[in-house]
Amino acid sequence: MKILITSSYVPFIKGGGTAIVEWLETKLIEHGHEVETVLLPFVESMDNMFDQMLSYRLLDMTESADRMIAFRPPAYLLKHPHKILWFIHHFRAFYDLWESGYSGHERTAENHAFRARLMDTDAVGLRESKHIFTNSQIVSDRLQRFNQIDSEVLYPPVLQPERFYCESYEPTVVCICRMEKHKRQHLLVEAMRYTRSKARLILAGKSHSPSYPRKLKLAVLKHRLQNKVQIMDRWISEDEKSQLLASCSLAAYLPFDEDSYGYPSLEAQHARKGVLSTTDSGGVLELVIDGQNGLITDPDPEAIAEAIDRAIDNPGLAKQLGEAGPGRIAELGIEWNHVIDRLMAA
Amino acid sequence: MESRDRQVDGRMKILIVNNMVPFLRGGAESLATNLVRHLRRYGHDADLLRVPFRWEPANRILDEMLACRMLRVNNVDRIIGLKFPAYLIPHPHKTLWVVHQFRQAYDLLESGHSHLGNDPTGQDLCRSITAADNECLGESQRISTISRVVSDRMLRFNNVPSHVLHPPVDDAEDFKPIASENYIFCGGRINSFKRQNLLVQAMRYTKSKIKLVVAGPPDSPEDGKQLERIVEKHKLHDRVTLELGFLKRERLVGLVNHSLACAYIPYDEDYGYVTLEAFYAGKPVITTHDSGGVLDFVTDQLTGRIADPTPESLASMIDEFAENRQSTQSLGEAARDDIHDRNINWPSTVQRLVA
Repeated sequence: MKILITSSYVPFIKGGGTAIVEWLETKLIEHGHEVETVLLPFVESMDNMFDQMLSYRLLDMTESADRMIAFRPPAYLLKHPHKILWFIHHFRAFYDLWESGYSGHERTAENHAFRARLMDTDAVGLRESKHIFTNSQIVSDRLQRFNQIDSEVLYPPVLQPERFYCESYEPTVVCICRMEKHKRQHLLVEAMRYTRSKARLILAGKSHSPSYPRKLKLAVLKHRLQNKVQIMDRWISEDEKSQLLASCSLAAYLPFDEDSYGYPSLEAQHARKGVLSTTDSGGVLELVIDGQNGLITDPDPEAIAEAIDRAIDNPGLAKQLGEAGPGRIAELGIEWNHVIDRLMAA
Repeated sequence: MESRDRQVDGRMKILIVNNMVPFLRGGAESLATNLVRHLRRYGHDADLLRVPFRWEPANRILDEMLACRMLRVNNVDRIIGLKFPAYLIPHPHKTLWVVHQFRQAYDLLESGHSHLGNDPTGQDLCRSITAADNECLGESQRISTISRVVSDRMLRFNNVPSHVLHPPVDDAEDFKPIASENYIFCGGRINSFKRQNLLVQAMRYTKSKIKLVVAGPPDSPEDGKQLERIVEKHKLHDRVTLELGFLKRERLVGLVNHSLACAYIPYDEDYGYVTLEAFYAGKPVITTHDSGGVLDFVTDQLTGRIADPTPESLASMIDEFAENRQSTQSLGEAARDDIHDRNINWPSTVQRLVA
């Protein structure tokens, strides 16, 4: 079958939103389909957002493929008679963040009108889709709440999960993800002040600016944690990542209120490692169940320290949490064959 | 990731902007991907934006122009636009390297070959296209085209001067004069605009024992069958070899390198890598007066022969090459010197584009 994959993007920026598109293309080709990916630019600016959305609407993809799978907004405005959405987020500043007050937009009458108009426009693209999948229950709930639209959760797998493996359960806790404030590596550094076990913490990942890693390093120095904490603030190769995961006891991932479980949690589970996360981490909690395949604590350094000590002092527990990973992944259907089956059945 | 040969000062994020038709890849597409690759080699961050474009039915063109005009691009220092309408995307630092304009609104309209010429709506559309082009040309910092033909048209129809920057052949070093076997080679896509039929017809009139090899993918099955019918009708089987279909690159390079000379007689071609490949291989090229961009390269009696687009005229040029091997070879050597003197290579191309 000829399949068109569409999404919006910002040139030269790679992230979860671009990875899922590339990976799906790879897997669809492996399944024998002809695939073409169309990525169009989008700038989330109130000045000309509707003009840009109209651009998408004017590009008629009707004859180009048997079906179209669309990801980031406003790709769902592209015209195609057999449109499938794999919806990964709204324009959040005008949806949930608007309500939370963190959207950065003042609640003027003008902005209210803008938001209403955006929702109407979104409704057009959403309603004409044959089927809507989302990448998490949280996103599905939002679609229901804000747009009154049903959707099906289709959890995104990682490409080639077989590259992750388990070698041992050394007394280390690793956190491998972008080093940014909202990923809250600082909570982990703080926690290491309170650990009593022989636990060591390794933070690995690239940051978009040097200021957050600098703060983390200062905290390490200030609390004399040099022997307990290692910070690798750089791009981590896939090989390095799987090696770090192979030998740790726990993989920590405690973003603030994330939409989906996040690839770092999933990768840890493929490496048969329990995930350490927090009660306010959002989508991570859809994958990780406290005491089953990870440990969930309050977002508080002392509580985190206690969880770390529990796993490090008790290698049997770390192993048990890790070994539950593959079963949990299967239970949620986080698997490419399932994804392709569902996307093609819709 | 591609290794970076050298780091340039002022590394930039450069977005190449091109059209695309889903599931189709053509010459401009490989030019775009090669450009991205070479910009990266010279230390820039480069990426390709492909904007869908379908020109039929014609009333879609206006929508697509508007779509391009209203798209916005951020996190990019400079864009390099290759084709209409993708190059309409606004950006404060825009360079154009025009592969071709939308010819249906310009020269093809004038010559009566445009599907837009027949009614007032079509004529209005042509005026809108010209207006959009004029605006885009006016807001671009630097305008290059891939050939003199494209530059001439732009000067004539839009009154805008431009530089000619010939696209390099990516594997130029593979083309070399290995042998001079007894055949004239004609490579490239096969369709009615490339006029391989005239060459096959010419073989009815040649007096020498020279053969003709035509090799390449027909655009439609009918384009291939047409050539087969000429061979059949005039019993040219032992004079003409048709290799219809997509050729492996090594096979194509081999056919060029072993030929006596090459022939390339498209109607009003924009550019034509085929000519450059022949020259790199030290082969003179037979072309015609109305072949457009090919004439940027071929000089009559110096690096090839320029015929009339008729079988008889072509036949006499073919005979001339076949009967005077010595002079054919010296034309080939001159062609090789000529193409090397032109310095059409990626380092200087990249340098001129980002200057």
